[in-house]
Amino acid sequence: MSQNEGISVLVSGMGSSAGIEAAVSGTAEIGTSSRELHDGEGEDLVDIPIAYDGIAAIVNPHNPVDEITTEQLRAIYSGKVTNWSEIGGEDLPIDIINRDESSGTRDAFASNIMDGERFDVGAVILPGTGQVREVVARSRGAIGYISVGFVDPRFGTDPVKALVLDGVAPTDDNVANGSYPISRVLHFFTNGEPEGATLQYIKYVLSPEVQQGAVIEAGYLPVTTLGGQD
Amino acid sequence: MSDETNRDLSAYPIEEPLSEEFVELEEFRHEEGELVDYQSDSDDLGTLDEAVEEDGGRNSFVDVLIGNVDADAPVGIDDQFVLGEEMPTGKLQLVTRQTQIKEFTLMSIFFACAIVAVLGVTLIFAFVAYKAFPIFTEVGIGNFLTGTEWSGTEGLFGIVPFIVGSFVVTIGALVIGAPLAVMTAVFMSELASPKIRSFVRPAVELLAGIPSVVYGFFGVVVVAPFIARLFGGVGFGPLTAWIILAIMIVPTIATLTEDALGAIPMGIREASFAMGANQWQTIYKVVLPAAKLGIIDAIILGMGRAIGETMAVLMVVGNAPQLFAGITAPISTLTSQIVLDMGYATGTQRTALFGMAAILFLISMSLVLFVRLLSRFGQEMSG
Repeated sequence: MSQNEGISVLVSGMGSSAGIEAAVSGTAEIGTSSRELHDGEGEDLVDIPIAYDGIAAIVNPHNPVDEITTEQLRAIYSGKVTNWSEIGGEDLPIDIINRDESSGTRDAFASNIMDGERFDVGAVILPGTGQVREVVARSRGAIGYISVGFVDPRFGTDPVKALVLDGVAPTDDNVANGSYPISRVLHFFTNGEPEGATLQYIKYVLSPEVQQGAVIEAGYLPVTTLGGQD
Repeated sequence: MSDETNRDLSAYPIEEPLSEEFVELEEFRHEEGELVDYQSDSDDLGTLDEAVEEDGGRNSFVDVLIGNVDADAPVGIDDQFVLGEEMPTGKLQLVTRQTQIKEFTLMSIFFACAIVAVLGVTLIFAFVAYKAFPIFTEVGIGNFLTGTEWSGTEGLFGIVPFIVGSFVVTIGALVIGAPLAVMTAVFMSELASPKIRSFVRPAVELLAGIPSVVYGFFGVVVVAPFIARLFGGVGFGPLTAWIILAIMIVPTIATLTEDALGAIPMGIREASFAMGANQWQTIYKVVLPAAKLGIIDAIILGMGRAIGETMAVLMVVGNAPQLFAGITAPISTLTSQIVLDMGYATGTQRTALFGMAAILFLISMSLVLFVRLLSRFGQEMSG
């Protein structure tokens, strides 16, 4: 840490697309993003994976449903299934919690689950993982999706239940070995090859000190676990 | 020149300092008892008679008189006097060119301050309109104003759900908030003892000082769970927004209504009492109708506040870009959608957001215009 003194890092969080936008426009040296680049977006950007993450579908702990399939999840989020009883739960309307369009979590969820279908426009849209977690924790009929790492009770006052998806539990191991269906890469994007202080900072983030420390503490998987899949 | 002038005139003791508001009088005539102004072309001091003669009705400059001047006393530049009156020596106030320059500078500064607001509005509107203009070619004004689907990723930019959402949220907030605020104002103005008023009024004013994000937070952690318990669901939607916004607009409407009630002369109330009306009858049949226009004014300004509110609404309304589907079904508004999308929107979507801002601007502007027309109508009625 001491060798990096004198480099200050200004962090601003506005969603994945904002991160990419900032790197493209040069507003920021590094754009952070939890989604892949879209076609034709930021052609000069250099992609540096810094961590891995799975996305868990979460429900209220009082909801008797424990397992769900990709098809059922898609049917719920596209508005075709509106009651928990239709997928083996109690007779209770499903309250869908979605993320805003700038969210990388939404992007990863859409590309892994939705298969081109549109999200139900009647879904509540919340602008942050923390809010999704909190609302699901207090609403019996709600369903949401958040990073696997944030399911852990230490990220909220009330517990939420992560659903087993297609028979695979959303655990770190299952995300790391690729068996869990929704995973994604957390990226740094730089406009051109990084150099100077930017390069120094990126090296620091990729060092074992951060990867085995801060990355795991934040609930993500070190980039080294998958050996550079992307 | 002013040094010399000052020195010479300082010999005349000034009984009363000249009030600055007298400094500029636009017109004068050379008649007895009238104010006369004089500005000499030369720096030489002359007598009053000479001064009047030299001025000769050119009326080139305007100054002020405060006292009587000896007709034979030396008169300098920019001195003032009354013609025809008895003129004991002394009591002459001098307005020097320095004072005029100071006055002019001050006036310019005040004017500049006033113009900043005008320029601000003009520039912001011009900027928003300029940024929004491509909406005509990229989306088409028809698709934009009548489309009911909004999806940045699919290139759908219909803003009907947001316009409907903004009005649903605003009107609901007024239905709850306006009676609350007007009754608060009537209580403060007509009913409360000074002691009670002395803590109700600061409390109402304090409501206006709470940041909107705090209202939003209150909505998320208190109101939304409460609504969810009453109606099921997750508690985000118009009803929650109505409650939060109703509280937020109370200070605007209540203070303006109180002002309107305070402007009703006490004699009108006394006349009502003299006719045998009791206090309630006086309030409902006399005071409120008399303050009607002022109260409508207050409510419309409250409406402006509600329709422009962003953060608190974003946090509680659910942000679903769908048409109104029930008081607990999530919707989105113009303001909250702009904030939600502004961080990442590019290209056409960004243009569409500026288009929404322009629409909002027009709505607020027509509200202000309506208030102006209303108060003009009120003046005509009473005048």
